[in-house]
Amino acid sequence: MAERQTSIDVKKLFAESPKTPIKLDITDLNNFVYDMSRCIKCKGCTWVDHIYMPGAQFRTKCPTATRYLFDSYGANGKMRIGIALVEGKLQWTDKLLEIIYADPLCGACDVGCKRNLDLEIGLTLEALRVKAVQDGVGPLPAHKKIAQNIAKNHNFFGSPHGNRRKWLTKDIKPAQKADLLYFVGCSASYSNPEIAQATAKILKAAGTDFMLMPDERCCGNTVFSVGMINEARALARRNIDEVKKTGTKMVLTSCAEGYRMWKVDYPKLLNISTDDLGFKVVHLVEYVNELIEKGSLKPNKKMDIRIAYHDSCSLSRLSEPWMPWEGERGWMGMVEPRLTRRRGTNGVYFQPRDILKSIPGVELLEMPRTRENSFCCGAGRGTKEAFPDLALWSAQHRLEEVKHVGAEALVSACPWCKNNFVQAVKDDGNALKVFDISEVILASIATEG
Amino acid sequence: MRQRVKEEAMSISKGAYAVLETIVGAEYLSDDPVVCEGYRSGPGGYECGLGYERVMTVVPACVIMPRTTEEVQNIVKVCNRYKIPYVPYSTGFYGPRSHPHVDGALLIDLKRMDEIEIDDKHWFAIVGPGAIYSPLQAEAMKRGGYVIIGGGGAQASVIANLIGDGWSPLSHRIGLPHRRILGTELVLPDGELVRMGSLSQQNDPFWGEGPGPDLRGLLRGYTGLRGCLGIVTKMAVKILPFQPEPLEPAGVSPNTALQLPENRVKWINFTVPNKEAQVKAMFEIGKAEIAGAVTKVPLFWRAIAKAECKEEFWDLWGQENADTINKFFIVRVLLIGFTSAEQMEYDERVLMDIMKELGGEARRTRPTDESWIKNADSAGMWVMCGSYVSLDYVIETLSQATVHGELYADLKWKYTPPLMPDYGDPGWFQSFELGHQGYSEFLIYWDQDQDTTGVDHFYVDTSKMNIQNRTYTSLLGPHQPLYLTGPKYGPNYHEWLLKVKDEFDPQWVCHPPVPLAHDVFMERAEWMKPMKDWETPEIMPKR
Repeated sequence: MAERQTSIDVKKLFAESPKTPIKLDITDLNNFVYDMSRCIKCKGCTWVDHIYMPGAQFRTKCPTATRYLFDSYGANGKMRIGIALVEGKLQWTDKLLEIIYADPLCGACDVGCKRNLDLEIGLTLEALRVKAVQDGVGPLPAHKKIAQNIAKNHNFFGSPHGNRRKWLTKDIKPAQKADLLYFVGCSASYSNPEIAQATAKILKAAGTDFMLMPDERCCGNTVFSVGMINEARALARRNIDEVKKTGTKMVLTSCAEGYRMWKVDYPKLLNISTDDLGFKVVHLVEYVNELIEKGSLKPNKKMDIRIAYHDSCSLSRLSEPWMPWEGERGWMGMVEPRLTRRRGTNGVYFQPRDILKSIPGVELLEMPRTRENSFCCGAGRGTKEAFPDLALWSAQHRLEEVKHVGAEALVSACPWCKNNFVQAVKDDGNALKVFDISEVILASIATEG
Repeated sequence: MRQRVKEEAMSISKGAYAVLETIVGAEYLSDDPVVCEGYRSGPGGYECGLGYERVMTVVPACVIMPRTTEEVQNIVKVCNRYKIPYVPYSTGFYGPRSHPHVDGALLIDLKRMDEIEIDDKHWFAIVGPGAIYSPLQAEAMKRGGYVIIGGGGAQASVIANLIGDGWSPLSHRIGLPHRRILGTELVLPDGELVRMGSLSQQNDPFWGEGPGPDLRGLLRGYTGLRGCLGIVTKMAVKILPFQPEPLEPAGVSPNTALQLPENRVKWINFTVPNKEAQVKAMFEIGKAEIAGAVTKVPLFWRAIAKAECKEEFWDLWGQENADTINKFFIVRVLLIGFTSAEQMEYDERVLMDIMKELGGEARRTRPTDESWIKNADSAGMWVMCGSYVSLDYVIETLSQATVHGELYADLKWKYTPPLMPDYGDPGWFQSFELGHQGYSEFLIYWDQDQDTTGVDHFYVDTSKMNIQNRTYTSLLGPHQPLYLTGPKYGPNYHEWLLKVKDEFDPQWVCHPPVPLAHDVFMERAEWMKPMKDWETPEIMPKR
């Protein structure tokens, strides 16, 4: 019989154990074999955190698992499918592609899993899509169309590049040079000018000079999210270089998806940390909340309205800064050097709520699934383009929750959420109003416009 | 597009598939290999990464998701007609034993049957097999009532947990699960429907004992038969009075907890001088009929609760040793003001008197509940090593239950490593039903990337240990080799169980080869041969 282990030297046990080198690098699915192989089917990826479980209604937070029901569509099923791919037990089929792409990559699974475990579920799902592209089977045709639009016209929609600044009105005059650069993004530039205009007017009201990128182009959210890593990396390099050339200190976005790209995924693509970007990245709500706290902006116009706030995934649970990491895994699955996991704890949750609560007359209603447990609208990261039915279904499902709390208006902080909800409300035929938070802020401070 | 490399040889016939499709519709049926792969048991999960999972589980040939009892009946009848083995599946959390063991199996995923209906007048809930615990508890608490979140976790199926285990520290007050199972609906392995208790007479499941049939004993026995005797499609579960104050959720993941109204709900942790005082404290608390829960948990759970990640756990656990374990005597008490704040104050005074007599000292305890009232953090059990199973649990007298854990701890030294070094911790121990019973549960952890032969051996060795020490173990029936445990606990327990199986499932289509799965595993796994010193028939029944 072996000697009794009445005490242990953890460092020694780790040092003497066999090691596997790993990186938080989504270009190689093998980096996530441990994570896939340790999924325990607790379905923390699917259920609302049990502490916050609201009751018989609204139990789940994963749109894909809730819509398609088969375990295979939940992260727990995808981890098993991923292992089978790595081991050569499965090869690519149309069904496999459907399963990995019918998913807004909203991060609910990642945060749910990391409540208890240390598994990198979100990165694994991204790596599966990168592998699909590497293997020549991905992305889906609808995604390729977007990629072509971006390559040709530098925007998601395929609209003429020259129209990018058409949202500018006479009374909005960006500076040639400023410490703050407003990155407008494709949606606010082409399909949601009201968001870009509101953002610009809010900045003006606060007395903040802002500039635009001399030649703004797509942030690359869709190409990155569907696994076209080379195209996304080229866009990241280009955009970062352009910002650096301007000498600005801060990039501000009014789009949650763009925010996540600049803050998390550009650093991820370039293997640098968010702090090493050389400038700060903020979303409008962070900036405005700080202005309100300082007293530089006063939302004093009364708005008698009951508002439900929808956490856009890329602003909330997906928005913690990126830190590159590489090391090795050894005894009992421990890693060295130490890794600070991104668990969604420090997402942008309180700022939009504080803003809305500061507006006189606004009654802010929390939906049963909130913050890190929010139910995604379903539009993001290539979903609406390839699976419009899933995107619409998710938004309609979320609207049930808005009705449940009796809100008159639904507010989010991302144009993609807004557009998806607007369509769902239209299809649903109800009287709910849908706003971007920039519009609400502007209405609370403006005397006109 | 390239096609999948065929792994499983068998699929169900086109004819059978077409009939199944008419029952549920095409949307809820799939034999696509990718869809089926998503239902694989391992490689991670409860009891996964061990020989049993590797040898005994296969990917289903087909998955079906019924919505109603009638659909379940029809599916099961088709399985009998076409001789298709099938496995009921509620959440899949219970590891290999809730997954197919034979090729060509139909997995009946019951998640669409997730009803939770509360009878506000009579205080019971009617649940479907796809309903999990936390939403049920949330609904009960909205009404000032509560149920138990079983040790399996808040994500466990209420029905699956109640017919298998169904207890937690709250069992000190709320009692054992079979007392809370009321009218129940069961689809037998051949598709016949049995309504138990008052459900047999009218569409009202308020009573479990009768006047109709009551097969609850058969359904769950000590710890259930793991889906080999049919499918429970509906169950009424008793809700018991809790207290009226709200328990507000607080914090952001991963640090979420219920904030407790301290005048009505309060945890207090006590340290006591020795094991005798620990047992005596539980005994006296039960005798005084106070408290909602009384438990002693393994010391490493405290490290799990404190640690932010796996590495931090090992930093903390590396500081402990056999000596600190030997000196760790904690009694964790949950006080609940069921009827009033004054009642809880009274309970607290009685508790303090008991502890004073026994030399117990109250330690600072957070006014929150992370686990047991609405959540049960079973998922956290995997953080240290990546692999885990609750190997055994016994319900004995309080004094006898502690001996069980010590026996386990003693045997475990031999198998550490590959088991996690826990310095001889005797496991989890608590009071049930106001001290009328004591409960001991022994949990083991390992890294499935290491050689797990020792873990497989430990599993069977503990069965022999239980037989030798005449412990009333849960490791009976389908949980261990039936031909090892049956003759020792019977002497013809195994013969009875097999006769019951034959009677209800003459074709053995319902989750074969359970209840003989562990015997089959012993046959198939070469590395288990040195452990086998008991007789089995040359040809296993219904192979």
